[in-house]
Amino acid sequence: MLRRLLYDAKIRDAIYQVALIAGLVALSVWFVRNASQNLVNAGIASGFDFLWRQSGIDVPFVLTNYTAQSRIIDLMWVGVVNTLLVTFLAIVGATALGFVLGLARLSPHWLLARVAGAYVEAVRNIPLLFFVLFWYFGVIAALPAPRQSISVFSLAFLNNRGLTIPTPVDGYAFRIAALASLAALVAAWIASRSAGRQRDRTGEARFGWLAPTLAIGAPCVFFVVASLSSIWDVPALRGFNYRGGFVLIPEFVALLAALVTYTAAFIAEIVRGGVEAVPKGQSEAANALGLTATQRLRLVVIPQALRVMIPPMTNQYLNVLKNSSFGAAIAFPELVSVFMGSALNNTGQAIEIIAITLALYLAISLAVAAFMNWYNNRIRLVTR
Amino acid sequence: MKTLSGALLGALLMAGAGSAAAQQLTPSPTLDAIKARGHLECGVHLGLPGFSFANDKGEWSGLDVDYCRALAAAVLGDATKVKFTPTSVQQRWPVLQSGQVDVLSRNTTITFSRNASLGVDFQGINFYEGQTFIVRTAAGAKEPKDLDGATVCVAAGSTEEKNAADWFRERNMKVTIVNFQKNDDAITAYDSGRCDAYTAGVGALAGQRIKLKAPNDNLIMTQLISKDPQGPVTRYGDERFQAVVRWVLNGMITAEELGVTSANVDEMKTKSQSAEVRRLLGVDGGFGAMLGLPDDWMYKAIKQVGNYGESYERTVGQGSPLKLARGYNQLWNKGGLLFSPSFQ
Repeated sequence: MLRRLLYDAKIRDAIYQVALIAGLVALSVWFVRNASQNLVNAGIASGFDFLWRQSGIDVPFVLTNYTAQSRIIDLMWVGVVNTLLVTFLAIVGATALGFVLGLARLSPHWLLARVAGAYVEAVRNIPLLFFVLFWYFGVIAALPAPRQSISVFSLAFLNNRGLTIPTPVDGYAFRIAALASLAALVAAWIASRSAGRQRDRTGEARFGWLAPTLAIGAPCVFFVVASLSSIWDVPALRGFNYRGGFVLIPEFVALLAALVTYTAAFIAEIVRGGVEAVPKGQSEAANALGLTATQRLRLVVIPQALRVMIPPMTNQYLNVLKNSSFGAAIAFPELVSVFMGSALNNTGQAIEIIAITLALYLAISLAVAAFMNWYNNRIRLVTR
Repeated sequence: MKTLSGALLGALLMAGAGSAAAQQLTPSPTLDAIKARGHLECGVHLGLPGFSFANDKGEWSGLDVDYCRALAAAVLGDATKVKFTPTSVQQRWPVLQSGQVDVLSRNTTITFSRNASLGVDFQGINFYEGQTFIVRTAAGAKEPKDLDGATVCVAAGSTEEKNAADWFRERNMKVTIVNFQKNDDAITAYDSGRCDAYTAGVGALAGQRIKLKAPNDNLIMTQLISKDPQGPVTRYGDERFQAVVRWVLNGMITAEELGVTSANVDEMKTKSQSAEVRRLLGVDGGFGAMLGLPDDWMYKAIKQVGNYGESYERTVGQGSPLKLARGYNQLWNKGGLLFSPSFQ
């Protein structure tokens, strides 16, 4: 009986896998116990209670309602939000710049193609840290001191402390405007679908103007109304710097610029690879049908190239997330900087903080990957 | 059974014989390791003139460096047998906790939470420091309270980061604090105009000012916003090594109080009739042996490095570019705070 069980390939495999998992679990339990025992022996504090202690650390760039009196877990959240913000904007910027560069490199225009090629080759072979420091010290050096600020209609001020912009004293009107815009976008989506269906059915496009108006016009109107009905906190020069408003710090700008310019070079290559992967016959067919160059690119080449580009693009997006930790080199308060830097040093609880940071990066990465996989499945060639 | 009881009896006899003979020393793994490897591992600052700074030949100098040299002279008889490990604000704790360095001598402020939760012990004070700000003279700020609205650069994870935040908040002042991972990055950012001020201890600021583009266009404020005593740090455990660390520092201070200098130490050793000088230099008392060191441990340290005052003047005082006055770091009987327990 036992013999038969052992010789059954399925059961044997199951036993191996259970044994492997049990071994891994036992190993991790042993690691955790060993580490905590050693920490106790060395007199180093351990546990997660520290997360609820007051942080006492000031952060120059906060989008949440964090202050120095908040808890350390709130400080961690500040880091997460700042990381997500810079990652999201860098992904958008790098994708746009990367597309332009990648298409430029394929352009029949000799100079354009060469310039794009040179950019890609140069940037890909320079370490990112260099980019971050170059942008940071370059940005600071280029900007004037507060008293010589570059003023934009006396509302916004650009100096080496950052870009100070006015903020509404009360965000209520803007929250309403945002909700209204969202509703308008949903309406636009419904309108465009029903317009499309009607066109398919009757062949005439009657309400084609409705969707774009709803999508672009309505939000514009809502936000103009909101801005006119709010009281604004306009920055004013007092003492060392402008007071009031919201400050977009140079560290943020430098990190964003570095991530965009650096990642764009890689994305450009992905775009070029994707476009070149579309068989030449497709372009020729498009030409034969009399499509213009733009139409050929937009309707024939890029939709097919996208399928090839999405998986490597996912990699680059995840790289942007991970590379955002370079913000720590220039004092941008992202996750590594505030949590693994300031919080770790104030509490000394290295193992816990590093474990939490790892878990957070992993969670965000997996979320980005899941979204990209969903998108990849959506645009996949449907074979019938 | 017979053999087991026999072994037990033998062990008891041996223990008895041991305590009857010379004084038994508590085991000290750190001292044994230092002697076995032939050099002291000392954690210092990445580069702070006056405290720990390596010149272009890679030779370290400074007040904190001198302390480690004196410790090496006391333990190994040779002040040059030290390997310095430069550490950032963040690195200093792991390198000490993990045993990569034997002692940390790195402008490190003694605080309650560090002592209680990092597994580290502070073994005395070799520099009474107080936090203040450096500003550009052109900004016109003279005191910390003039800094309302300013942007201040600071090293993340330092005591200064929290001190400054607390101090401004208590006074309802709106100050932007930008936290850099390294002191050097913070000072570079200050120098390039990112911040109106950089905050650190007075001594550290005097050292950092030398590195600025135009040192004389910058003013170090005199009003202090904190008291930051600094001294050598060890990890928990190994009390005998902790005693050595503590008493080498006490010995340097006592030597200054007793007038023992690197120049006159030979003469003092042979001629001095002062009981404390004789105990300090190992002529009487056998103090070195009590810690498991040669009796001339402090003689070697003073001969090769000097007493506290000599070290201070050479590294941060009048004999250095920092030109810091003794201030609090003067002997207690000359108006300062240095007060060493006695060699009795």
